Amino acid sequence: MTLAETISSALGLEGAVGQFVGGFIGAAIVGTFILANAAVAGPWAKRKITAAFTDRIAVDKLGPLGIGIIIPDAVRLISKELIVPKGVDRPAWDIAPLIIASSAILGFAVIPMGQVGPVEFQLADPEVGLAFVFAVASIASVGLVMAGYASNNKYSFLGGLRAVAQNLAYEIPLILTGISVVIFAGSLQLSEIVATQQQSLVELGPVAIPAWFAIVNPFAFILFLAANMAEVGRNPFDIPEAPTEIVAGFQTEYSSVYFVLIYLGEFVHIFLGGAIIATIFLGGPAGPGPAWLGLLWFLVKIWGVFLLTQWARSALPRVRIDQLIEIGWKGMLVLAFANLFVTAVIVGVLAPL
Amino acid sequence: MSLEAPEPELDVGETPDGDLDYDELADLLGEHVLDREEHVNAEGFVIRPDSVETVLATLKEEAGFDHLSCLTAQQYGDRYESIYHLKKYDDPTQELSVVVPTASEEPVSQSAAGVFDTAIWHEREAYDLVGIEYEDNPDLRRILLPETWQGHPLSNDYNQDQPQIVPLREHANPMEKRTQVPDRSDTMFINIGPHHPATHGVLHLETVLDGEQVVDVDPDIGYLHRCEEQMCEQGTYRHQIMPYPDRWDYISAGMLNEWSYARAAEDLADIDVPEYAQVIRTMAAEMSRIAAHMLAIGTFALDIYGDFTAIFMYSITDREKLQNLLEDLSGQRLMFNYFRLGGVAWDLPEPREQYFQKVRDFCEYMPGRLEEYHNLLTSNELFQMRVLDTGILPPEEARSYGCTGPVARGSGIDVDLRRDDPYGYYDELSWDVITDDGCDNFARALVRLKEMEQSARIIEQCVDVLEDWPEDEREIQSNVPRTLKPDHDKEIYRAVEGAKGELGIYIRSDGTDRPGRFKIRSPAFCNLQSLEVMAEGEYIPDMVAALGSLDIVLGEVDR
Repeated sequence: MTLAETISSALGLEGAVGQFVGGFIGAAIVGTFILANAAVAGPWAKRKITAAFTDRIAVDKLGPLGIGIIIPDAVRLISKELIVPKGVDRPAWDIAPLIIASSAILGFAVIPMGQVGPVEFQLADPEVGLAFVFAVASIASVGLVMAGYASNNKYSFLGGLRAVAQNLAYEIPLILTGISVVIFAGSLQLSEIVATQQQSLVELGPVAIPAWFAIVNPFAFILFLAANMAEVGRNPFDIPEAPTEIVAGFQTEYSSVYFVLIYLGEFVHIFLGGAIIATIFLGGPAGPGPAWLGLLWFLVKIWGVFLLTQWARSALPRVRIDQLIEIGWKGMLVLAFANLFVTAVIVGVLAPL
Repeated sequence: MSLEAPEPELDVGETPDGDLDYDELADLLGEHVLDREEHVNAEGFVIRPDSVETVLATLKEEAGFDHLSCLTAQQYGDRYESIYHLKKYDDPTQELSVVVPTASEEPVSQSAAGVFDTAIWHEREAYDLVGIEYEDNPDLRRILLPETWQGHPLSNDYNQDQPQIVPLREHANPMEKRTQVPDRSDTMFINIGPHHPATHGVLHLETVLDGEQVVDVDPDIGYLHRCEEQMCEQGTYRHQIMPYPDRWDYISAGMLNEWSYARAAEDLADIDVPEYAQVIRTMAAEMSRIAAHMLAIGTFALDIYGDFTAIFMYSITDREKLQNLLEDLSGQRLMFNYFRLGGVAWDLPEPREQYFQKVRDFCEYMPGRLEEYHNLLTSNELFQMRVLDTGILPPEEARSYGCTGPVARGSGIDVDLRRDDPYGYYDELSWDVITDDGCDNFARALVRLKEMEQSARIIEQCVDVLEDWPEDEREIQSNVPRTLKPDHDKEIYRAVEGAKGELGIYIRSDGTDRPGRFKIRSPAFCNLQSLEVMAEGEYIPDMVAALGSLDIVLGEVDR
């Protein structure tokens, strides 16, 4: 049973009303859960991780390890003045942050995050789950373009253009690599993809190596990780923001709550990237121990991806726009097609033999 | 076949032992030379304002004066005067001043821009501050002051009390097109700075972009202009000028700046400096150099990486160590004011052994640390991908633009005043001048990294010398009169190797205890002018990288 169904049956509601109420409350729970993660990541974890990489201490005054900074930071960000520059194209300028933030959260609707007691922590499980995730995640690009174009600022404009160029160049390899997993699993349904990965690949005595697609096809995994880095716009692919070149790119003119929304959207987007990676390559909530640890394992995996993005941010120089496009179109696209082709041949031709 | 090296060809006017024969130079110029003046550093040839280009071109082509070091403009009671300080990159001790007097009523002089590109900015500055007009300068407009400024502050008839408030309608529209690029529909004008994360201060780049590529870049400077030259003219030689140099290149390169004034003023007033003080000066100056280069490397990495990475933090950490050493020595962390005419302010801190130990510890720690920088930075493939073959500055262009310091050495020009025009204690020590033929952003960063190693070598040797110095011979200052009044109309141009390059001072004495004219030749000012060569046709990120590799400090650019 999915989360929505559990709630509606617990409330004793049926039919369309039950679906709506169950879905609504379930979405609120999932959304809050994800935003809570983003809140920990943004004001606190990011600082701590970067500080660890650069030999600093970072926040350490409020609460254990300074985690209490989240509260004053939230108050600070929300209480700032919202400056609306002259000549911005409203309402596009106002809608853009909403789109950026919501598109990322929307993706979590179909992610299976493991069991909590008897309940599957998954809002919905459509048959086209993976396609849905990719589709909603790429809506964010529209938000970036809107923000860049509506801001009436040349830096924003450049940032918006860069964002489109980058997303075009990297979403195709990203999705092609995703499709190779679909070929293995034989389904777009995320729960099905997770279930396929539960089988054991090899048994090494008492330890069974699961058939996680990261282990079955490590090449696709690495390709996906790299494309995902560009998709979420982190170093070395953070050129839509590129502070030392174009100030802050598409978000230059945003302040206060709008800034928070964009910022939040980016963090949720990183987590969504992590969730996709965890789901289609790392066995979703699977892990050693009882099944109720699933949510914990899932969190470990998405935080692992988050850590990776922050690591890259502290260690890798930003590539130039022309180099970025070249890597995308001439490198990763070719590799993604090669991977897809080889996978298709193995699954479709060699396996039945 | 002879194994002997071929005799180097001598330029006109050069004697075999590396000196200048001014008579021969005067013969070369023939009737152009109206008169000859004695300056402390070189002879000055007085020429007519309409023969500037011919004379400079002849001197450059035939006599090998390929470095227009500086242009000093000043107003006398009866005339204006521009002095072109010429040098040779091969041997900066061969100097020649070309003095161009112009009439008070109509201060118009021919431009040297056709011979040296660097003259464009120097003449703009002279026009801006003194008011001499240079015919045929392709870009003669104000450079440091706003375009609406009334009058020329360093001219004699300048009215200090005149309000400079200009009504908005009379104010030049800052967005008005001033770049040379025709207004095309497929280009975009963009103001990078004065408040921008990558401009290293209040630098304003008026940039025209074609997509992501830079079509035209025009640095707009002067946001940090404090008229340091005039401030120095109002101070007395003995004590009041020395604090100012700290405020030019304030990236902890203060010791190097102080030395430039100390050297010029000491040569002007014939002051001897005890050798013990020279050793301390050398050590302090090299500490400053490492500290300045540390910041240059850190911020360069910041420009490339785009985030505050470990490299930036490491370089700041290491710079901090040097600042602690300099603080122990001078009592200050940035504005040292440690040099005095004829020596330094005070001796090494007691207990001396402890201080020596600290310095030695640093010198031992330095090579390992530099190894780490090389691992993090120069051997990083992504970093190389970004900076190799970008921001190209060919050596001919570097010479024409008057580039010095690590920028010139990164273009393969083997020039370093510490070796070529020795001062202090440098010629007693063993160290190398680092050059690199890369001519790109990478080469300039690499030169700085390697220079730090050499500086550490120098410091170590200085400590060796200082440790063995007999206790009763530790003379930190020579006997300098309380009031210095160099002879009337004595002129000098002297330069030292600052962190950014040739930092020169021109002083003309008017017989009082204050300079009649004080001119600063800022290396960052000259280096910055070459940005257009490096950036045009490149992508925005490469321009940012080129700017980072130039390592400008706006305090020194704008003065």
